[in-house]
Amino acid sequence: MRFVARRLGFFLLTLWAAVTLNFLIPRLMPGNAALAMMSRYKGRVNPQAIHALEIAFGIHTHQSLVGAYFTYLGDIARGHFGISLTFFPDAVSHQVLQALPWTLALVGTTTILAFVLGTFIGLISAWRRGGMLDGALPPIFVITSAFPYFWLALLAIWLFAIKLGWFPESGGYDVTTTVGWSWAFVEDAIRHSILPAATILITSIGGWILTMRNNAISVLAEDYVRMARAKGLKPWRIMWTYAGRNAILPNLTGFAMSLGFVVSGAILVEFVFNYPGVGWMFLQSVENQDYALMQALFLMITVAVLLAILAADGATAVLDPRTRDGA
Amino acid sequence: MTFQPVPATTEPTTTVPSSATGPPIPESRRGFGTDLWRAVARNRKAVVGVLLLLFFLVLSVFPGEIAPYSPTAEVFQPGLGPSWQHWFGTTAYGQDVLSQLIWGTRQSVVIAFAVGGLATALAVIVGVSAAYLGGISDGFLSLITDVILVIPIFPLIIVIAAYERNAGLFTLVIVLGALGWSYGARQLRAQTLSLRRRDFLEAARVRGERKSYVILHEILPTMTSLIVASFLGAALYAVLFAAGLQFIGLGDPNSQSWGTMLYWAENNEALGANMVLWAITPGVCVALLGAAFALLNYAFDEISNPALRLRKLDITGTRERPKDATITAPTTSDRILEVRGLSVAYASDEGPVVAVDNVDFDLHRGEFLGIVGESGCGKSTLMYAIARLLGPPFSGEITDGEVIFRGRDMVKLGDRQLRHIRWREFSVVMQSAMNALNPVLTIEAQMRDACKAHSKMSDKEIEKRSIEVLKLVSIDPIHLLSYPHQLSGGMRQRAMIAMALLFTPDLVIMDEPTSALDVVAQRSLMMQIKELQERLGFAVIFVTHDMSLVSHFSDRLLVMYAAQVAEFGNTRQLFDNPRHPYTRALLDAFPSIHGPRVRLTGIPGSPPDLARPPQGCRFAARCPHATPRSIAVEPPLFDVEGDLVRCFLYEESAAEENVRAGATEGVA
Repeated sequence: MRFVARRLGFFLLTLWAAVTLNFLIPRLMPGNAALAMMSRYKGRVNPQAIHALEIAFGIHTHQSLVGAYFTYLGDIARGHFGISLTFFPDAVSHQVLQALPWTLALVGTTTILAFVLGTFIGLISAWRRGGMLDGALPPIFVITSAFPYFWLALLAIWLFAIKLGWFPESGGYDVTTTVGWSWAFVEDAIRHSILPAATILITSIGGWILTMRNNAISVLAEDYVRMARAKGLKPWRIMWTYAGRNAILPNLTGFAMSLGFVVSGAILVEFVFNYPGVGWMFLQSVENQDYALMQALFLMITVAVLLAILAADGATAVLDPRTRDGA
Repeated sequence: MTFQPVPATTEPTTTVPSSATGPPIPESRRGFGTDLWRAVARNRKAVVGVLLLLFFLVLSVFPGEIAPYSPTAEVFQPGLGPSWQHWFGTTAYGQDVLSQLIWGTRQSVVIAFAVGGLATALAVIVGVSAAYLGGISDGFLSLITDVILVIPIFPLIIVIAAYERNAGLFTLVIVLGALGWSYGARQLRAQTLSLRRRDFLEAARVRGERKSYVILHEILPTMTSLIVASFLGAALYAVLFAAGLQFIGLGDPNSQSWGTMLYWAENNEALGANMVLWAITPGVCVALLGAAFALLNYAFDEISNPALRLRKLDITGTRERPKDATITAPTTSDRILEVRGLSVAYASDEGPVVAVDNVDFDLHRGEFLGIVGESGCGKSTLMYAIARLLGPPFSGEITDGEVIFRGRDMVKLGDRQLRHIRWREFSVVMQSAMNALNPVLTIEAQMRDACKAHSKMSDKEIEKRSIEVLKLVSIDPIHLLSYPHQLSGGMRQRAMIAMALLFTPDLVIMDEPTSALDVVAQRSLMMQIKELQERLGFAVIFVTHDMSLVSHFSDRLLVMYAAQVAEFGNTRQLFDNPRHPYTRALLDAFPSIHGPRVRLTGIPGSPPDLARPPQGCRFAARCPHATPRSIAVEPPLFDVEGDLVRCFLYEESAAEENVRAGATEGVA
C-alpha cells in the first residue's frame, strides 16, 4: 500500500512539473516568447483564437504571474486546453483525442511487442551463453540501437515503398477508404502500419535484448539458480521461474527509463511516415506555431509515458513480493 | 611477499556470492587504471568503437584538407548520381554530398563531446553529492533526478525549440546537456551509496578529511567505469537527438551538419527524386558515430563487469598427471561416495585456474565428513563438482576424475539421468539461504517445485510433506506461505535444510550453512543438523572455514589447501595430533574452549595464486618447516597411521607401500 501511495505521489509530482514547465518555458525564453507571440497575433486572428492562446500560455493581462499560474492550473485541471489554430475552431482536446488511437495502436503495440520479444530473446541468449545466438546478437543489436529512428524510416520507405512497392509510402490509411470499423479499413490501416511498426520494432528491440541478456547473465550466477539445478528441476523451469522472473525485474525498471527514448523515436517515425498520430500532430503544431495544441500534446505524451511506467511498476509489484512489502 | 598476519580462517563476514562461484582472483589483478588499455585492446567491440571514433575525429579536425570540394560554395550540376568526381553525387542545389558529409562531422562530434561532458559533469555532481550528503539533500536531489528521468525529454526539447527556433550549436548543447544527466546521476548515486559504508571511506572520515576531499580523492577514482559509461551514453543520446531535431527543421537550417543535410534532402524529396545517397549517407554517418559510442559503452560494460565476459576453458595447457591406481573393487554397501582424482578448472583471462586438483576421498553411509580450509582453497568448488553443479551456465568444469555415488559415476551421467537422482538421493544446502532461495517464490512453491520434479505426489501430499519437514527443523508451518525475505536468517537457513530433507536423501552436501548466522544460532543449528542426521541416517559433507565448528560433529576431516588435500583423517586424531604444518597453523588460529590460554597466531602470508601454482609444496612459502626439497618438489600424500598427510616431514614414518599417490612427484 505504501508502495502504491509513494509511486502515485511521484507521478502527480512529475505531472505537475510537466504542467509547470509548459507554463514557464514560453516566459523564460529570451524576450518572453509568450507575450511576443500574443502581440504578433493581435488583430490578425479573431478574439476566440486570442483567448485560446491566453489559456495555452496562462496569460491573463490583468493578473500577476502567480495568479496567472493558478488560473492556468485550473484550466488544465478542467481539461481546457484552448482552441487549436491549425484546426480552427476545433477544441484542442478534441484534436488530441482523434490522434490518440492511432498512436496507441502503432506505438503502444510495437513497444509492448518489442519489450516482450526482446526480453525473451535476451533470456535465451544468456541461457545459451556462447552459443550461435549469443555470439551474433550483441554486436548486431548494439549497432541497431544506435540507428536514428527517422533514418531507418527513410530507408524503409525508399526500399519497401518506392523501390519494391510492397507497402504504402505514407499515411495511416488510404484516403479513398471510409474511416470506420469495416474490414477493408482495418486491413488498409494495418498495411499502412507495417513499415512504421517494423522501424520502431527494429530500433527499440536491441535495447531490451541487451539489458535482459546482461541481467540474466548476472542472475544465472546467483545461488538460487544453482539451487534450482541441484533440486533437479527441468531446464525450462529453471530458465523461466528462477532465472527469467528475477532477471526481468531490473528490465522493467529499465523499461520505464528508456520509454522516453522510444517515444522520441516514435514521434519522428510518425513524422516521416505522415502517420496521423500524436507525434505527427505534435510536430505539425510546432510547424504551424499552434502552441495550444503543442502544449496539450506534450502533456498528453507525458501522461502516456507515466501511465506506461505505472504499468511497469504494477508488473514489478506482481512479480516481486519484496516490492509489495515495501522492502 | 608481504608478511601480514592474516587470521587464517576468518573469512570476510559479508558473503560475496561470487567468491564461491568463480576462481579466486587476487585483488591486484582487478586494478583498473593501466590495465584498462590492455582490456580495451583485447575487446573486439571496443577496438571497432575506438577506430570509428578516431575516424570521425580526424574528419572533424581536418575537413578542409580531406573534403574534395567546398560544402556550399562550389556548385555543380544538381542531382548528379555517384561518379568519380562526386562519390556520393550532388544535392538538389548542386553541392557535393561527400564534402558536406565531411564538413558536417565537426558539429556532431562537438555536440557529442560537449553534451557528453556537460551531462556527465552534472550527473557526477548531483549523483555523488546526493548519495554522500544523504538526508533531505539526497531526497530532494533524487526526486529531481527521477522527475527529469521520467519526463519525455525529446518532446520537451521540441517544445523549447518551438519557441527558440533555429537554435544554434550553443543552445543545443546547453539544452541537451541540462536534460540528459539524470540516468547517469541515478547510477552514480547508487554506486556511491554502496561505497559509503566501505572501510576506506570510514577511514578517511575518521582521519577527519573534508567531504570535498573524500569525494574527489576517494570516491571518484573508484567510479571511473561508471563515469565513462555515463559519458558514452550521453554522447550517443546527444548525437541522435541533435540529428533528429535538425531533421525536423528545429536547428539552424544554414549549419553544416548531418541532421540539416537530412532536413534539406527530405524537403527536396531526395528519395523520390533519385538523390538517394543525399538522403541516406548522412543517416549512415549518424548511425556509425552513434554505433561507435554504443559499442564502446557496451565494451566498457563487459570490461568493468567480468561476469559478462565469456571465457572459454582451454585445458590443453594444464599438466598431465599419471592416473592413480583407482580402487577397482565394487562399492561396498557401506561406502556411498568415492571421489577419485577429481579436478576442476575455471577459465580466466590468465588461462585455466585449477581450483580443485586431483582430490580423492570417500564417504561412508551415515558419516559426517567435514571439509575445511581458507576461502579460495577450492572447498566450495569441490562441493559443486560432487553435486555436478558446474558447467554452463555456471562457470567451472570438471576436467578429470570420478565421483562414484552409490555405484554410478556422476561425472559421466547425462543431464536427464542426473536430474533423476538429484534431491531424491542427494541434496544440497547452500551457504546463504538469502541467496539460495528464490526471492520471488514462497517457501511452499519452492518445495512444491522439487516434489513435482521427482514424484507424482498430489498437492495435498506435497503440502503434508512440506509441513512435516518444516516441523523437523522446528519452523511453524505457517511460514510455508512466507517469502524468503520475510523470514529471519536462522529460519531461512533451517527452511533450506527442511527443503533438502523432502525426500530423506542418503547424502546432504552442506556448504557453510551456518556462516551467515551469529554464534548462538550457529550452535543451535549445528545441534539440530547432527540430531537429524542421527535420526534419519543420511551422510553429510559439511564444508566450512571454521574448524572448531565441526570439531564436535564430524567423524572425519579433510583439510584443503590451495586446491589440494593437505590432510585427511579422523577428526579426533586430527585435532589431538595435527600433522600437516597447515593444519597445525589452522588450529593455532582458533581459540580453544578447553586448555590453557594461548596467544592466537595467524598464518603469515597468503595462499598461492592458483593460476600459477608454485612448483613444490603449495604451503612452502608460508611454512616454518619448508626445505629446499619441498620448495622444488610437490609432496604426495603419505599415509601415517591411517591419516593422509601431504608433507615430506612424514616420508620416513609412512611405509613405502602405503604411499597413496594423491599427487605426483614429477612436475611438468
